[in-house]
Amino acid sequence: MGLPFFKIHSLRFKLIASMISISLFIGFISMLIGVSFLYRSVVNEAGARVGQDLNVARVLYDRQIECVRLALELSASTPSLADALSSGNEAEAAGALNAVALKLNPDILGICDSQGRIIYRHTAEIQGNALNAAPNPLVVKALESQASAAGSLVMDNQELALENPELARFASIRVRENPEDAEAHPHEMTKALMVGAAAPVFSGGRLAGVIYGGFLLNKDTQIVDKIGETVFKNEKYKGRSIGTATIFYQNLRVATSVKDSSGNRAIGTFASEEVNSRVLGKGEKWTDRAKVLDEWYITAYEPLTDIMGRRVGMLYVGVLEAKYNDIRTRAISVFVKIILASAAIAIILGWLITRRIMAPVSHLIQASAEISRGNFTPDIGPISRDDIGQLQRKFLKMTTALKEREESQKAQSEIRLIQSEKQASVGKLAAGVAHEINNPLTAVLTFTHMILRRTDLPGEVRSDLETVASQTERVRRIVKSLLDFSRQSALTPESLDVNSLIQESVKLLENQALIKGVSLSFRGADDLPLFTLDHNQCQSVFINMIINALDATPSGGKISIQTRKASLENAKGVEIKITDTGTGIAPEHMDKLFDPFFTTKEVGKGTGLGLAVSAGIIQRHGGSISVHSKLGEGTVFTIWLPMADNPE
Amino acid sequence: MKILIVDDDPIIILSCRRILEAEGHELRVANTVDEGESFLVEESFDLMITDIKMPGADGFEMIRRAGKARPEMPVLVMTGYLMQETLDEGASLGVTDYIAKPFTPDELLRAIEGV
Repeated sequence: MGLPFFKIHSLRFKLIASMISISLFIGFISMLIGVSFLYRSVVNEAGARVGQDLNVARVLYDRQIECVRLALELSASTPSLADALSSGNEAEAAGALNAVALKLNPDILGICDSQGRIIYRHTAEIQGNALNAAPNPLVVKALESQASAAGSLVMDNQELALENPELARFASIRVRENPEDAEAHPHEMTKALMVGAAAPVFSGGRLAGVIYGGFLLNKDTQIVDKIGETVFKNEKYKGRSIGTATIFYQNLRVATSVKDSSGNRAIGTFASEEVNSRVLGKGEKWTDRAKVLDEWYITAYEPLTDIMGRRVGMLYVGVLEAKYNDIRTRAISVFVKIILASAAIAIILGWLITRRIMAPVSHLIQASAEISRGNFTPDIGPISRDDIGQLQRKFLKMTTALKEREESQKAQSEIRLIQSEKQASVGKLAAGVAHEINNPLTAVLTFTHMILRRTDLPGEVRSDLETVASQTERVRRIVKSLLDFSRQSALTPESLDVNSLIQESVKLLENQALIKGVSLSFRGADDLPLFTLDHNQCQSVFINMIINALDATPSGGKISIQTRKASLENAKGVEIKITDTGTGIAPEHMDKLFDPFFTTKEVGKGTGLGLAVSAGIIQRHGGSISVHSKLGEGTVFTIWLPMADNPE
Repeated sequence: MKILIVDDDPIIILSCRRILEAEGHELRVANTVDEGESFLVEESFDLMITDIKMPGADGFEMIRRAGKARPEMPVLVMTGYLMQETLDEGASLGVTDYIAKPFTPDELLRAIEGV
């Protein structure tokens, strides 16, 4: 294929462009649907997962509490402790307790008597009157129910200070930013969120006292890191932990694995207002995507209640949304790559297909150009088997038909040429014969007339000779007409004014008409353009027509000639009417009127060639001649000549 | 009148003779242009009648030579068919008149008188 790529670019381009647009369109739609579908289900899954992670976190949290309870219960059941307590031997009781302390290592640990007075604190000296200290709620519950109590609780800084002064200092948290509904949070938050337990000690079936212990959650790292380890396996994503956990006191972060921008735990920061109101306020479990510090997480919160049933804080786990976002981004990029690849395939495929289709079409285009250059057997390449093949076959048929037509036209013009040559040679023959006849005819005519001059001719002889003479005259006329007729020469057309041509002819015959007493008039139209005609031949026609009219019209008659613009079969031309009031033409003569040698004149008068010659001249101009006649009234000859030169 | 007739066909000569001698004209006859020329050189004539179509040199050649030998002499041309070309050439050579063949005695005599 020798054609450059974009020569038929409009069709090829359209095909390829439409293929690309279809594939792009489908690609993008599938991408949009697919990605959003994928993302939503992933997010749903993540949310479900985070909810479950929260449950696990809760289990870990509760486990801590149970740990304490179990340890204390165990300890409470040791006989030595029970005896020491019932006998009021505080030192012994303390000793028994130390084992527990060593093992459990709680932040606070103490013993109360059966009245609830704190009689021993592991981590602090009993100051002043222990009775002044209100017993912690765990102890109260244990005493009341005579069973162990465990759970979360809040302690004032003073309370904690009594139990563990050092811890009390440790426990206070700097509040980092104020929440939207400033409930006058102090710059330092001094309340302590704790988990603990209290177990009653029985001696001899009677309640001897209660041992209690607990852990401080403020700034705790154990629980939150345990959660991170267990639930999230400390998985990291781009350097950040995927999963985070937080323990809130109210809505303030007191223990968390959420790190701020400098890498420190974000203790002392607040949860969002929505979380606050829903979780703390209404006590609902809450799962949604939320902004934690500056990152988007999929989060789950649930309230923490103390042993009195009051909501004192929240437990939170969250999973970095970025990881899931990246799934979406990757999915999109995969889709885009697929789309681009399919577009590329579409281009290649389109180009190949159009090439296959276009090959025969471009051949046909070239072939058409060849035809207009005159080559009727162009090469159109191999016939393809599809619809284009039909086109190719029809095209071949067309070229064959064109070729045949061309050849038949050539043949015709040859035939015509040969005919006119033949006519020319017949003319030459006639002219030759005529010329040969002229000389002997001269002699016959001359000598006959000379004889007739004699005065001594007997009547019969004279009349016989006169017959000879008149017939010889007739022969002369015939020969002349023959020469005229064979002299049908080719037209030498020139641009001329029909009216003036007719006027000339009229002028030539004016006198003759006058002599005969026939009126000869001409009225020419004044809007005639110039015509392309042979001057002499046309004039001979008009003269012949007028002479015929004169011959047919008796004295007192009228011959009138008119011209007017007239069209015949969409060709512009002129109509010339020669009307006479003569004797008319009999209907039986009409057919033969234009035949050579037909004449109605007396024998010896006309030769009958005039009309034939005139008709021939008119025909060769591409015009026509017709006649209307009524015997006794007159005749009208109508000649039509075209404006443009259409010789046959 | 003294008339020179030039024609290759004897019957034409004979016919002309028959007509003109009956009127008392003096005639000289030539069959070829050369013959005619030699006559013209030797004698003077009142009129020359010549045919056009002759073998060898044609009537026009005759007229040309006559124009040289006897410039004032009128020339009458006999022609089988009067065509425009004949008229044109004749006009350029100074032909006086034409007569169409075949002709009657009266026609010939009329033509001569006209000259």
